[in-house]
Amino acid sequence: MATTDVQGRTVGGAGGGEQPFVWSMVLPMVRAGLFGFIGYFAAAWITAMVTHSVIVNPLPATLGYVFGLLGWIAGSGIWDGWIRRAFGGEEAPSLTGVERYFRFSSDPKATAVRYVIFNVLAFFFAGLAAMMIRIQLLTPDSTSWWLSEVHYNMTFGIHGLMMLLAVAASVIVGGMGYYLLPIMLGARTVIYPRLLGLSWWLLPPAAVAVFLSPLIGGFQTGWWGYPPLAQNSGSGIVFYALGAATLLTSSLLGALNIMGTIIYMRAKGMSLGRVPMFVWGLFAASTILIVEAPATFTGTLMDLSDMILGSHFYTGPTGIPLAYDDQFWWLFHPEVYVFALPAFALWLEILPAAAQRPLFARNWAVAGLLGVSMVGVMLGVHHYFTAVSAVRMPIFMTITETVSIPTGFVFLAALGTLWGGRLKLSSPVLLCLMAMMNFLIGGLTGIFNADVPADFQLHNTYWVIAHFHYTILGAVIFSWLAGLYWWFPKVTGRMVNEFWAKFHAWWFFIFFNMTFFPMFILGIEGMNRRIAVYLPYLHPLNEFVSISAFFLGAGFLIPAANLYISWRSGKKAPQNPWGSKSLEWHSPSPTPYIVFPEGSEVTVVGPNDNYADGAPEPFVWAPTAAGK
Amino acid sequence: MVKAFGGLVVAWIIGMAIAEGLTAYGVDHWPLLGSVQAHITADATIYLIWQAVAIYVLVGGTIVYCAIRFRARPGDSGPPAYQRRYFGPFVIFWLIMSIAINLANTIYPGMVGLEQLWGIQLKAKHPLVVDVTAQQWKWTFSYPKQGITDVSKLVVPVGQTIDFVLRTKDVMHDFWVPAWGVKKDVIPNEIRHLYVTPTVLGSTKTNPMIRVQCSLICGNGHPMMRAPVEVLTKAAFKTWVSNNSF
Ligand SMILES: [Cu+2]
Repeated sequence: MATTDVQGRTVGGAGGGEQPFVWSMVLPMVRAGLFGFIGYFAAAWITAMVTHSVIVNPLPATLGYVFGLLGWIAGSGIWDGWIRRAFGGEEAPSLTGVERYFRFSSDPKATAVRYVIFNVLAFFFAGLAAMMIRIQLLTPDSTSWWLSEVHYNMTFGIHGLMMLLAVAASVIVGGMGYYLLPIMLGARTVIYPRLLGLSWWLLPPAAVAVFLSPLIGGFQTGWWGYPPLAQNSGSGIVFYALGAATLLTSSLLGALNIMGTIIYMRAKGMSLGRVPMFVWGLFAASTILIVEAPATFTGTLMDLSDMILGSHFYTGPTGIPLAYDDQFWWLFHPEVYVFALPAFALWLEILPAAAQRPLFARNWAVAGLLGVSMVGVMLGVHHYFTAVSAVRMPIFMTITETVSIPTGFVFLAALGTLWGGRLKLSSPVLLCLMAMMNFLIGGLTGIFNADVPADFQLHNTYWVIAHFHYTILGAVIFSWLAGLYWWFPKVTGRMVNEFWAKFHAWWFFIFFNMTFFPMFILGIEGMNRRIAVYLPYLHPLNEFVSISAFFLGAGFLIPAANLYISWRSGKKAPQNPWGSKSLEWHSPSPTPYIVFPEGSEVTVVGPNDNYADGAPEPFVWAPTAAGK
Repeated sequence: MVKAFGGLVVAWIIGMAIAEGLTAYGVDHWPLLGSVQAHITADATIYLIWQAVAIYVLVGGTIVYCAIRFRARPGDSGPPAYQRRYFGPFVIFWLIMSIAINLANTIYPGMVGLEQLWGIQLKAKHPLVVDVTAQQWKWTFSYPKQGITDVSKLVVPVGQTIDFVLRTKDVMHDFWVPAWGVKKDVIPNEIRHLYVTPTVLGSTKTNPMIRVQCSLICGNGHPMMRAPVEVLTKAAFKTWVSNNSF
């Protein structure tokens, strides 16, 4: 059904790296950029002419963005690789070589690799924004020599939105999930491979728009974009709203793929009881996106409509600003579980293989992942206890605290797996354990914000900043690195340098805690968030935090260099370096273009985490009827 | 495995002694609590800190202990002898504990704290009414019954419950005096109330925790959207009123 012609064909060992790279392969990306640029300026300029305004105004910027996005997508190869067929034309054949990384492609592995590169770049630039913020906070009032309040607000707004939507939302789901999902399930591809291809091409224009929003006036609202401030603090909010809506749409397309692939494309014998934990994590995250993302990006677009079309959903004398908060947090609190659930699942995927033990209490762990995704829907209101009516407080306090019960099942399974195992402490395992330690702090400090009385004081202080950085940076990004190191051999065919990976893990762990732990104290001492200028009594701690943050930030150059050098000249990887029993380790490293060639079919005959001596193989390969 | 558990208990005891000792030190250095409400919210926070530290030691301690105790020595290969997939007593204990802790937390400090805060509000028969107007980027205060309008400094008597009536002229803001331990968002098209009973004399000059601070991003002037506060004795407050009303 979803197997394309090329993927059905028997291509013996058609690896991605066989054709040498030539620069002309990059042309589709250049063409996409050119079309996007032309689309943006043509539409913005014509709109400005017609409406007698200038191209930096909200309406021209909006139309410019829409046509720029369309131009970019058309230039990327979607026109000849997909849409032309709908008008009776010939669809260009799928490419199997290196060139598929630089153009629209229906190969999930190529899409996933592009995701990783995009995430790394977005992380780098959003991280630079974080460094600018910490330079600002080195001194109580540095607005005279460093960023003005205006630039400071833009900087942390961009930092927040990019880190959440362009990094955390897709590092594990996009980069690892889309690569591993079909392979782990024994499927030849995902259920909608072209839609998955499209999901990546939506990211760069959105990210560029958010990063360049200062050029059309920036936005002062932080990543919340709350009206009515959104409407009167710079036209850059247009790029905020459109960028956020585009990034969420991309997540939604990915979620549809994950859901459909898990339901319809599992190999024979891959019952729900044998689906790998990592896939369960992706599934739980997808349910969240499918149910909640539409309400929230509709909210940002309604907010935009208040700005450019003169509607009054949230603004003006009849508007209800809190309605926006309801829509916004409807997804955006559960969104942190979209980041965290795949990270949890990743621990449970890596730990059994590392400890050479079956996953402990597997059913409870699956229930935990699904439970978090279900309870997570209902607790966004705890983000504005200081604004809601009294009757909503006890309800949402109770629901928010309840989410810790299913989350606990993940720790239960992880601890049970570690106990009595024989743990090989390789760098990915070390990072997983560190992520668990960090998430524990992030999760426990979340109870303070769920508890209404404590939240009345701690809300919007640095306590909150510390809390969510522990969950997102401390848990999700640590797990991302763990996953990168764990599956690096599968993707590139080479091993990561273990010494530098471990060195970096410790560096990162120490400076991460030195940066973010003092922020809890800052919060208690009355430092509120989103301020460029603070009172001098908070200076010593802030100075300490800033200096730690510089070390933390510099530390990211270590994995960047390590991954690049290992990719170019690392040790050749064996097929299954970690001794894992999961299906993705059954094909050679690096994964060939066709993972499961036509002619043979995999059947799952047992649990894939039985590490006992002399345990039977969980997978059986049998010739198919169609095989010639 | 039983022998390993003995070692874990020893690790827990040592970890607990260190961590709760540090917590005791931190709680001793808690910043100023300048109102009845601040005591309620700080009690909730401090209680949760004790609890969080205990859970962190128990769970995090187990992770670290396992990583050390059950790690494979170099050159050590082959699977471990222990291959259990399930151990009922552990799972049931974990489940009961996590439900119990959640229920308990919802009742105390959650509902009990809220009930106390709401109780002060209900019991305040004749609160001092202070109208607070937020706008980009300043605060103005009026005392309708005292005939004082539009002052830019918040002056209040100690020991009396104050009903802050919060309005905004433009975007959302948030009224917060860190020393008073509570905050309230100010939303366009709505009027909100915040009840505070100051208990500590002082002013922004004597302690920076006693200051009005906007706590919800409201644009470029947000960090500077502060106002000085002075908490006076009741007699001194009367004098201030008679000097400023007309
Ligand atoms: Cu404000």
